[in-house]
Amino acid sequence: MSIRIYQEPYLRNPDLICGWPGIGRIGILAVDYLRRAIAATEFAEIESWEFFEPRKVVIQEGLLKRLEFPENKFYYRKFDDRDILIFIGEEQPAGAGNLYGAGEKAYRLANLVLDVAEKFGCHRVYTSGAAVTQIHHLLKPRVWAVPNDSEMIAEIRDYENTVLMSDIEGRKGQGMITGLNGLLLGVARKRGIRALCLMGEIPYYLQASPWLYPAASISVLEVLTRMLQIEIDLVPLHEMAKKVNESIEEFLTNLYESNRIPPQIRAQIRDSIEKMKSIRQSTGPITEEDRRLIMEHIDELFKKGEKGDERTS
Amino acid sequence: MKEQVNILFSPDLKEASMIVCWKEDPGKLGSLVSRVLIDHLKARIFGEVNPEHFFTLGGVIVEDNVAQFPISRFYAGESRDIVVFESNQPQIERYHFLSCLLDTGEYYCQIKEIYALGGIITPIAHTSPRRLMVVYNQPELRNKLRQFELAEVNWEGPPAVNSYLSWLAQRRNMPAISIWAEVAFYLASSSDWTAVKSVLSFLDHRFGLGLDFSGIDRQLKLHNEQLARLREQNPEVDRYIRTLEVGLSLTEEEQLSLTSSVSDFLG
Repeated sequence: MSIRIYQEPYLRNPDLICGWPGIGRIGILAVDYLRRAIAATEFAEIESWEFFEPRKVVIQEGLLKRLEFPENKFYYRKFDDRDILIFIGEEQPAGAGNLYGAGEKAYRLANLVLDVAEKFGCHRVYTSGAAVTQIHHLLKPRVWAVPNDSEMIAEIRDYENTVLMSDIEGRKGQGMITGLNGLLLGVARKRGIRALCLMGEIPYYLQASPWLYPAASISVLEVLTRMLQIEIDLVPLHEMAKKVNESIEEFLTNLYESNRIPPQIRAQIRDSIEKMKSIRQSTGPITEEDRRLIMEHIDELFKKGEKGDERTS
Repeated sequence: MKEQVNILFSPDLKEASMIVCWKEDPGKLGSLVSRVLIDHLKARIFGEVNPEHFFTLGGVIVEDNVAQFPISRFYAGESRDIVVFESNQPQIERYHFLSCLLDTGEYYCQIKEIYALGGIITPIAHTSPRRLMVVYNQPELRNKLRQFELAEVNWEGPPAVNSYLSWLAQRRNMPAISIWAEVAFYLASSSDWTAVKSVLSFLDHRFGLGLDFSGIDRQLKLHNEQLARLREQNPEVDRYIRTLEVGLSLTEEEQLSLTSSVSDFLG
């Protein structure tokens, strides 16, 4: 297990921004988009084989060419007075009970990421993920922010479209960030590094969908780029969000007309989702029963298949 | 490694070859080949991987009315520098399991090469000859095995455990060869003696083992007679097998029906 550093750039006051796959791929889409937008250079990686299973083998004319694992790479980009480090992990390690981003491996991976942050003198670490909530997909998602240091709270309140856990109705400042986004915040706190998690809102009825949810990634990037004091072009991401919204609309239309679901339940699902166009938070007219009903039928329509290895011909 | 592998004694081996057999292979290929090799070599267990690190151990699997338990054992022969590793495939921590296998081979047996065996489920008739396919982890190995009729594999996709092992060996600059035998799909859950004999013939020639094939030939004859009886009794089975024998394919439904009839008949 090791970190491979191919080149050692001299960086000034860098911040580290981390992205992993998660619900709606909100975090990784935001961080990867940022990486491309600022043309960051790859300079290091964490070797993957102790954390992940290989996902592909390439055998050509009887010769084993390579085995491919999910990649964990670091990138940097120099700016005039404040540089940026980016970490992108293609997967979160699974812990006991197949919980992603949990357990000993996830803890070790989080520490390795922070080893690099410390080595290059990062003064702040950002992670990004999804906040699953009762929001309609045509509304602009907000960004839920959770710092690991109370001194960052005042700063967070200054940003538009950003909310703290304590400002969300019914949460009383409490909550849970699952996976590496949360773990990294905790490990950073233990090591005395300031860290902040930015979570873009995603409608709960899309949490198991196979689509990206770029609308939330846009909200995250709007806040993140203001914090980093950089500007990037978000137009391509807006175009992607528009296409995804069209797919969601089409999917919901099909759901509302599906013969696999009784008409009465279809009408109930439609009403519940439509109501969310005018409300934002969890204590509105959407009941737990409505929520269960929607998830039950939507999950069924999102189910996927599996693939075998080279032993199946 | 000490915690994960229990070594009973250090075998007196020099530049040994390690033959890796997996119990889950289709056609019981790994289990049957390893049994023949262990008996022939009069091989003794010298090490065992502790299962708690690599298997979920949430109960036991029952096979043929008998409770099974994951076993991963190293055997060394008395007269030849050959190590047989017979094991269930690890369910968790495959990287560490395969690393233990290689560490044990390197430190206790000074292994110079690995032969990892496996079966490939193929839509062929049991009466067809079985091709052996090969994957090398070093290009030089191709010349070494040129004399054998081995078909070279082309594959891009999810890796089997043998590919993972070969890749780890490649990182240590250790030669590794995966030998894949075709297994008739409808014999995948029973025993494919033709596939077993193909692999053993290869190993016999490769290592000059002087194996006695009379026992295997007896099993093969018995097995073929059983299948011939089934063909006589069940015209549908006969039609499906004849279709395969002339090189045509079956529909998914026909394949399932043939597999089910053969499995029921062989028990």
